Order: sequence, then C-alpha cells, then structure tokens
Amino acid sequence: VRLIDSQEAYMETQACCTDTVLSFQQQSVWADVFAQAVTGELIGAMNYRTLAEMCDLASEKAEASEHAEREEAHAQMFRRLGERIGTQVRSDVDAPYWSRIRAAFVRCATRGDRTGCFVIQEVMLESFAVASYGRIARIAPPAIATTFAAIAAEEHEHVEHAVALLRGIRERDTDAFDTTVKTLHAEVMTTLAEMVASEDPKGHCGLCSGTCVKEALPAVGLCTSELRGASLRQYMQTLDAIGVPGDASLQWVAQLPV
Amino acid sequence: MSVDFALIGHLEDWDAAASVVSALRGRELPPIPADELRTIVPWLPPRTVCRVLVHSVAGVEARGIYIDTFIPPDRLDTRFLHENLGRVRDAAQYAVKEGAGVATLGGFTSILLEGKLDGLPEATQFTTGNTMTVALIVRGIERALSIAGRSLEESTVLIIGATGDVGSGCARHLALRTRRMLLCARNAGRLAALHNELRSAGAITTASTVVDDLADEADVVICAASLGAPTLHLESLPAHAIVCDAGYPKNVLRRSGRPVIFFGGLGRVSKGFRMWPDLEGVLNRHPYPHVAQGCLLEGMILGLERRFESFSRGRGAITPERVDEMWAMAQRHGIELAPLHNAAGCIEDEIAALKRIA
Repeated sequence: VRLIDSQEAYMETQACCTDTVLSFQQQSVWADVFAQAVTGELIGAMNYRTLAEMCDLASEKAEASEHAEREEAHAQMFRRLGERIGTQVRSDVDAPYWSRIRAAFVRCATRGDRTGCFVIQEVMLESFAVASYGRIARIAPPAIATTFAAIAAEEHEHVEHAVALLRGIRERDTDAFDTTVKTLHAEVMTTLAEMVASEDPKGHCGLCSGTCVKEALPAVGLCTSELRGASLRQYMQTLDAIGVPGDASLQWVAQLPV
Repeated sequence: MSVDFALIGHLEDWDAAASVVSALRGRELPPIPADELRTIVPWLPPRTVCRVLVHSVAGVEARGIYIDTFIPPDRLDTRFLHENLGRVRDAAQYAVKEGAGVATLGGFTSILLEGKLDGLPEATQFTTGNTMTVALIVRGIERALSIAGRSLEESTVLIIGATGDVGSGCARHLALRTRRMLLCARNAGRLAALHNELRSAGAITTASTVVDDLADEADVVICAASLGAPTLHLESLPAHAIVCDAGYPKNVLRRSGRPVIFFGGLGRVSKGFRMWPDLEGVLNRHPYPHVAQGCLLEGMILGLERRFESFSRGRGAITPERVDEMWAMAQRHGIELAPLHNAAGCIEDEIAALKRIA
C-alpha cells in the first residue's frame, strides 16, 4: 500500500531503505514500537550485567556478559531501523513500567536469588520478546520484519537455554521453585500485562512520543490483544516446558490485569 | 503425577468461558469484560483447568483432570477445523504428559477419534465417551416416556444427526423397540446406508435429509447433530412431542414453551465428585450437583474400573451390547441418569402434563 501525504519528499528518500512507503502515522507508530523494543533490550542488557556480577564461575560470568552484549546489539539494531525510516528512536530505562521490572530484578539480585533473576529475564521478558517480535515480523515491511525475526530467533535461544537450566533447578526443589515463580509472576507479569492492556492503567508509559500508541497500532497491522495473547501463550508454554503445572500457570495468567 | 483419567473438552458458549475465567480469577478481582475475554481465550493453550476426584458406591475412587482445549465457542464450525484439530492434539499430548490412563474426548473433540485420524499419542488410551452418552440418551427417553404415560413401542422416534456416532448408536439401540423410526442427517449417502441397515434388521424406518419432512410425525425427537450453535426450530412437531436435546453445543433454538425439551446424555454421580479449584457450579451448569455429560462420565467410569482402553472409537461402532456393557459399569459405581431438566430447571412436571395432550 502506497500512502502519500504532505511529506512526499521525505517519504521518497526513505522508500528506498524500507522497500515500503510509510505514512506519517505509520512512521510515528513504528518509532514508538522501536522505543519499547530498544528500552526492553537495554533493560535486558542491564539484567545480564547484574547476573554477570553475581556469577562465581568465570564461564558463567562470560556467558552472562556475552548475553548483555547481544542485548545491547539488539538495541542498536532497532535504533538503526529507526534511522532507516527517518526517526530518532527514544529509549528510557527509567520509564515507569520498565523501571518497575528492572527494580524487581535488582531486588532478586540483591538477595542473591539467581533463580528469580533467570525467571524474570529469560522466562518472563524473553517470552514477551519472542512472541511480540514474532508477531511484528509477520506483519511488518520486509526490512523491519527481517530484523525482528532475527532477534526473535536469538531470544528464543535464550528461552530454550533457560528452560533446560530451570527444569533442573525445579526438579531439585519443586515447591520452592513454583513459589518463586508465583511471587515474581504477581510482580513482573502484572507489569508486563499492564503494558499490553487495552489501556494504560498506570498512565503514560514514558516512551510514546505523543499519546499512547496502542490505539494507533492497527495502522501498521498490529493490535494489543494479539501482542498480549501471543506473549501470554509463549509464557505459559515456556512454564509448561520447565514443568510448572498447567493448571497453576492458567490460574496465574487468569488473574492478570486486562 | 499420574492420574486415572483425563476429560478433554471445550466450553459450550461464551457465558461458560466467562464463568470459568471468573472462577480462576477469584472473587477479589473484577470479571474480565466480555469483549476482552473474546480476545484472550483463543490464545490460551490447552491445559488442565481443574483436578477431579470421583467416588463410587463400590467404595473405590479415581483421580482425574479436566483439560480444556480452549476452542473459542464461536469457532466450532468447519472453517476452523484444522486449527481446532491442532488444539485437540495438543490437549491429547497434555493428557499423556499428565500420565492419564484413559482420556475421553468430549463434545467436538471426539472428531479426532470418530474420524479415525492418526496422531494421537499411544501412551494414553483415548475414548470418545459416546457409548455412555448413548446409554444416557436412551435411559432419558425411557424415563420421559414413562413420566408421560407412554411407551417406546407405541412411539415414533425421530433422530436428527442420525448418522453421527451418537445418533447412529441411538438408532441401533432403539430401532427394533419403537413403532417407527425416522432418520434425519445431512449426508445422504450415509443416511441411506443406515436406513438400509436398520430396515434389513427388521425396523420400520423412514429417512430424509430435511427435518420438516419428518417432524410432524414424531412423538419423540433425539437431537444429536454436530452444530456450532443452536439452530433447529422444530416448530412443526406435534404438541405432545418430547425432545431430547443431546447436542453439545445444544441443537434446538427454543423460542416458546413448545416443544417440551430436556437436555439428554447427562448423568449424575450419586457418590459425588470433587474438583479443585472448585469449579462445581461453573463447569457443571446444571441445576443438580455432580451432573456431567455422558462422554465425560465414560472417562470417569473407565478410570473407576481401571479399564484403560479405547472403549468408544471410530464412527458408527456403538452397538446395543456395548451400550449395555457401559451402563452396567455405570450402575456398579452409582452413576445414574440425571433428573430430566433444561436451562429453565426441572422439566418432569411439564412432561407429565403431556398426558393431557396425548
């Protein structure tokens, strides 16, 4: 679809970069989507840096640091996408929702709860990243879709790595593990659910350039209900793979805000 | 964490879906708005919704689970067949993962076994539960006629959905016991085959693909069609007719007091069953406690019997002997016909009032 408005001259310059001509509104929506993605990746990088500090073994420390670098690289890739469509991508790790998630992670780290840190970063955040990037890859113009698909695949590897690790931890102490997940779910998943709720229950997210982008998402073929549904399904399937009973995860998810 | 039985099903309508989600959310949280619910349920992967402990009058008990496929109630038609089969297969895998000895595929989900489709895991035995459904429909008809002061032998019985697994099971069980049998189904080829089979056996039968061709002659109607939603009107039935709606979802769109309809294929566990989380009154939306669909009861019965086998499998394989065998097992454990009722409550007085019309 070729949409032309008063910014025709500008759009002609960016058409060659994205293979698809974006309207002014679409450009604005993508900029806000990229802002969430960049900030999420930066939070991920910070979380992995914190994990690296918690590791005793040099190999684990190196692995966590490598993951942090990959998350920073993802953030950079999303920023470049923004440049290609002619916009500066905002990012703010102190934005209200994201800072709450980071704070939950730091609390886990402070009490030395590495399992909790893994659950937040590699189950909760990565499930949302894999699913939402996957949905975006299905509908975005080719240049954007390729980047999101590639990053979704990498994040999926993180999830698989976490599943193997966490399944072992759960087998050693099932009750303690399930209690940890339940507690963190109430804190972190509630925040993530609020982020993809149909409205902003806690006010402006601090990242959208204007009003909340959610209502404008259909302009680029996205909608919050799909992003929420796909993300929660990925999260439940990840918990399934770890061994958390499906009836427990169902009840937890049913109690999230909408 | 192995269990004796798994009951695989789907929610009949959006009200039922809302009730289940509200129960899982708990009383402290507000219900999810209906429009939001419709955007959430389709994304839920099949999984255990509650655990079940069923008690028998024989002193044994069986442990089970209820797995919901979360097929959206408005996506039960053939346009979504591929997607829905995927969900049923995922639910079947879930039953295997839970270590179920036998799993019953209730409602729409039985299509996987009726269609003889492969792809079911072998570690768990799967049954459609249709044999127990037929047993309960037949007992329900017998009871209704008894209340109305009539007998099967003097009644003309119309079966809608006659070539389906449940419909054909009812036809075979009742054909030689009724004055006349009227068969209605959409597939003309299958309908002719069933018609010829029953006539060869000595039954007096008439068949048509059009309900209205047959309805005005029926004393009793069994509705066992696979419909995505209630669409049958049955306005041309005689005033004294009794309708057993055994569809899931229900077949008959009821607009007035006539005809007299009761929900068929339902049984009651006399010693009761317990669910946790406690979804009695949510999954069981009938006016009596411990009532369940026959297909689900078959899973419980096989669990209580420790008979981990595909008791009901394929399409058109339900014989009167198998129905009687299942009914004998049900009675051994105190599983009986539920009181005749419909959405408005007990219907037995209305059925008794038909004596005056007859």
